[in-house]
Amino acid sequence: MSQPHRINGGLTDRTQALHFTFNGKAMQGYAGDTLASALLANGQRLVGRSFKYHRPRGIFSAGSEEPNALVELRRDAHCEPNTRATVAELFDGLEARSQNHRGSLEFDLMAATDLLSPFLSAGFYYKTFMWPKAFWEKFYEPIIRASAGLGRLSGQSDPDFYDKGFLHCDLLVIGAGPAGLAAALAAGRSGARVVLADEDFVLGGRLNAETMQIGGQMGSAWAAAAGGELAAMGNVRLMPRTTVYGAYDHGIFGALERRTDHLADTTGAPRQILWRVYARRSILAAGATERPIAFANNDRPGVMLAGAVRTYANRFGVTPGRRVAVFTNNDDGWRTATDLAGKGVEITAIIDTRKIRPLASIPGVVIMTGAHVTGTAGRKGIKAITLNTGQRIPADCLAVSGGWNPNVHLTCHQRGRPVWDNDISAFVPGGDLPPGMTVAGAANGTLTLAAALKEGHATANAALKSLGFTPSRSQAPVAEDEPRTLEAFWHVRAGRGRAWLDFQNDVTVKDVKLAHQEGFRSVEHLKRYTTLGMATDQGRTANIPALAIMAECTGKTIAETGTTIFRPPYTPVPIGALAGRARGKDFRPYRLTPSHKWASENGATFVETGNWLRAQWFARPGEKGWRDSVDREVRMTRASVGICDVTTLGKIDIQGRDAAEFLNRIYANGFAKLAVGKVRYGLMLREDGIAYDDGTTAHLAENHYVMTTTTANAVLVFRRLEFARQCLWPDLDVHLISATDGWAQFAVAGPNARALLAKLVDAPFDISNEAFPFMACASLSVCGGTPARLFRISFSGELAYEIAVPARFGDAMIRALMAAGKEFDAIPYGTEALGVMRIEKGHAAGNELNGQTTALNLGLGRMVSKKKDCIGNVLSERAELNRPDAVRLVGFKPVDRAESLAAGAHFINRGDPADMDHDQGWMSSVAFSPMLGHSIGLGFISRGHERMGEIVRAVDPIRKREVEVEITSPHFFDPEGERLRV
Amino acid sequence: MSKSVSEPASEYRLHPMPFLGGYDQVFSGLSLREAVGLAIVSIALPRGNPAGPALEKAFGTALPEVGKSANAANDKYRLLRLGSEQVFVLFEHATADAESEIAALIGGAAYTTDQTDSWVALSVQGARVRAVLARICPLDLHGGVFAIGNVARTSMEHLGTIILRTDEDQFLLLSASSSAQSFLHALETSIRYTA
Repeated sequence: MSQPHRINGGLTDRTQALHFTFNGKAMQGYAGDTLASALLANGQRLVGRSFKYHRPRGIFSAGSEEPNALVELRRDAHCEPNTRATVAELFDGLEARSQNHRGSLEFDLMAATDLLSPFLSAGFYYKTFMWPKAFWEKFYEPIIRASAGLGRLSGQSDPDFYDKGFLHCDLLVIGAGPAGLAAALAAGRSGARVVLADEDFVLGGRLNAETMQIGGQMGSAWAAAAGGELAAMGNVRLMPRTTVYGAYDHGIFGALERRTDHLADTTGAPRQILWRVYARRSILAAGATERPIAFANNDRPGVMLAGAVRTYANRFGVTPGRRVAVFTNNDDGWRTATDLAGKGVEITAIIDTRKIRPLASIPGVVIMTGAHVTGTAGRKGIKAITLNTGQRIPADCLAVSGGWNPNVHLTCHQRGRPVWDNDISAFVPGGDLPPGMTVAGAANGTLTLAAALKEGHATANAALKSLGFTPSRSQAPVAEDEPRTLEAFWHVRAGRGRAWLDFQNDVTVKDVKLAHQEGFRSVEHLKRYTTLGMATDQGRTANIPALAIMAECTGKTIAETGTTIFRPPYTPVPIGALAGRARGKDFRPYRLTPSHKWASENGATFVETGNWLRAQWFARPGEKGWRDSVDREVRMTRASVGICDVTTLGKIDIQGRDAAEFLNRIYANGFAKLAVGKVRYGLMLREDGIAYDDGTTAHLAENHYVMTTTTANAVLVFRRLEFARQCLWPDLDVHLISATDGWAQFAVAGPNARALLAKLVDAPFDISNEAFPFMACASLSVCGGTPARLFRISFSGELAYEIAVPARFGDAMIRALMAAGKEFDAIPYGTEALGVMRIEKGHAAGNELNGQTTALNLGLGRMVSKKKDCIGNVLSERAELNRPDAVRLVGFKPVDRAESLAAGAHFINRGDPADMDHDQGWMSSVAFSPMLGHSIGLGFISRGHERMGEIVRAVDPIRKREVEVEITSPHFFDPEGERLRV
Repeated sequence: MSKSVSEPASEYRLHPMPFLGGYDQVFSGLSLREAVGLAIVSIALPRGNPAGPALEKAFGTALPEVGKSANAANDKYRLLRLGSEQVFVLFEHATADAESEIAALIGGAAYTTDQTDSWVALSVQGARVRAVLARICPLDLHGGVFAIGNVARTSMEHLGTIILRTDEDQFLLLSASSSAQSFLHALETSIRYTA
């Protein structure tokens, strides 16, 4: 359990040892370690296999840009693949496993793929697997998928919890390095509401990785003190472990907070929270990412970014190697050598590509300037490096620095393009930033400490002023600027072997050259042809070197070559976090009818209609299937009385001096003269003349109506009415409010409907046919004083009413209806019986009002009043909609009554081929009619109203069925409507 | 057809059932309670016919601005101004005739609709109430932005919601009564997740 690579110093807590396993091997680290630092401390250099060639790979970086060290964490359903070891916080009991190998990590059988690399260069998919075409899906793709890849999902449902939330602030500071901390301090002290988010679990950014001082204090100590000051401010919200991954419109940012990923036991708390942050201003202080230099076999475990090597030594007290060499094109790389040497680590060489005077002299170190590393030795870990001089130098760690790229990603999320800065040979934010955003520190190309602190401070003060705050009088923290000169150097031409750019997707310098040679020269084409930058790390360390090589090939500058666009997310966001708590039953809200409790107690089977759960049928003991229940419900309703909860129909309360005129313009048929106490069926058209929705509207009192809509369209119709009221006719005095949920409404249908209701309606209200005829409505009271509304309307074709009471009485009302109905054998019926009865009556419903049919098609052409103006009136007169051969809604019966019909079948004349040219129309609704004893259907067929008695074929090629049907009236049952007017 | 004469129907007297059964729970640092017996009557202000003076006289207070609320002079009614033409009146009232009380009070100056049964009302109170609501409420509830008495329409977990700040650490939430269970679930989940 020793940690051979642990050295003195660092910010880990040596008093708190943590035990973990890697590929089953027990290891130990300390509180404050990442999995990566703990692995390195234990001397574990090989941590994974590359995506395509299964090359051995080691930890490359110390941050979220890590391309190599992807591991699986935890076990079973909790297992999360593709986790970057460099950002995974160590905890006691952590289980980690390497991924993408067959057999052990050390002896991956798939490593043979590497031998095939000459055949697997950029674009090999397109070249190799062209033929035969049918082989792609069944043969090539499964093989490629099996051999290339990342970690594996457990295949089980994710047992963890996720949540979402909303945050609001004056200033969002993204990144808590020196610039971010300086900005947050300035803003916090001024009293502004500040959110400071950082992806790391310790605030300070590179201050924790370097040995620089601020105000005479170690940078890390200053950062800790600054964090303490900020934490004490009530107006500042500190959010460590939080990645701001996207900049969206109107100053809205997406942020992923990892709440319990660093804990062994999450005890049911959300693992991660996806925050939507509303920020009036934002400061991007996301720092910079170091980039490598490409040379042959630069992907061996032990080759690392120079800044990362410093991080491991200074922050974690871990040396990645015993004999460290440095390869750099800038001053920064030298600090890796001096810092590590200062901690007693042997430095074997410093190789600088620049012809400069050495910046440091360390006894016993080979210092070469104007030189290159041309290759490495050591299969599963570097053992030595070779120089262009032919010299071979032993090293088990090579720290490489090619300069730093500002993390400009979030500046580009709204199509802003970064601009090239020759001074630091990197892209810096362009002028076209997301609204309210400014950039400070290394993210802005301000790469030195004192300048970054000053810029953070000044940027915050400028943002505060623009918001009307008075900046505090505090000064920017004082530090010294470190040397940071650089000469661009991208890749070493000499050397044998592949020089790697994108470690995660295995893209080499040669691949970029090949893409250029084959004409894929635009950076966007380069990306897609080679897959450069398309892996989970989004090419954070690979893109700029690859662009530089493409620029070399084309003879252009990097600025002219440009960069691919950055899109959210900055780092991967788990799907679980995007789903949040919306899963399973709670994926969407659900709505319950007032009789839901009673229905559940009485054997109802429920069906989702929109968000509603409605009773579909009520099974009784002995019934063998749903048809038994539905047939019985229809027969018993038509024989005596049935009750159905129709609360789900939309109810819109309409009031105003101009309410009648408003309705007259909304509906295609006339409403101006509807008397108080009367209900009328109404049909709405779309602007283009197609039928939109139908329902009834009751005139309750002067200037007061209540409209019903179909269940499905309740919200849409309300929205449409609001639009008409506010935008089309703002001069009308008309007011709308939804009353759908306010009233529990029940259809009471059947010959005994009146007798049943008579027992509930309070005296002296008279519901006799004479006093309360078909299409009457009234406000009254029931059951000894409960206010109610009664409508004499019928969807079933029976003598029927709809009775509505305030929703709080709905449960009591269904019980009262059933109790009062006992003597009549009253039964509840569900949506299936409702549907059967409406088809028996030829009433159109959603299947008929499907957005393709007109009033004429529906047989309601005469309802469209030509004497008034209404929505859809004019365009309903288009010639094409009024062709003599237009389809008409009619009924269909199978010629052989034993046959069943199927909705969706198309009508073909006898003797015609069954194809689109001979299509006559379609079947829209079908049911078995218990009253007629056979299957019936409603459908649309050309000139249907003129073809009664004709026999056509109902052809259903999908289900391979064909039935001969007779065209009939759509009114199958009680065609004269005698039952409903009694 | 013989005339049906309605008979006394009081043997079927109906008893109201609160949408969440009178939910009332205390959590650590928080309480959540269904506001049973709270009547809601909407008032629509007629166009081109200012009702302000009549309403001011009826309630003894000027109509609040949109997004604000005001108490009537007698402290019985609370007026929520939800839109330029829309006011909700909230008051304790057990029986199902709230609308007629307001209609009589304002004497036809504006249009009234009973909304009591359209909404489930939940009162949530406690030190961590803002942290709980931040998981579902997109609005900024900071005291300097959303002060006591402020009211807004918003949506929480896909459900249309009216939120009223009744005290520094207390809010009244109204959401559709048919989805009351889902709304309660949203709040209970937030409470659990912020515990």
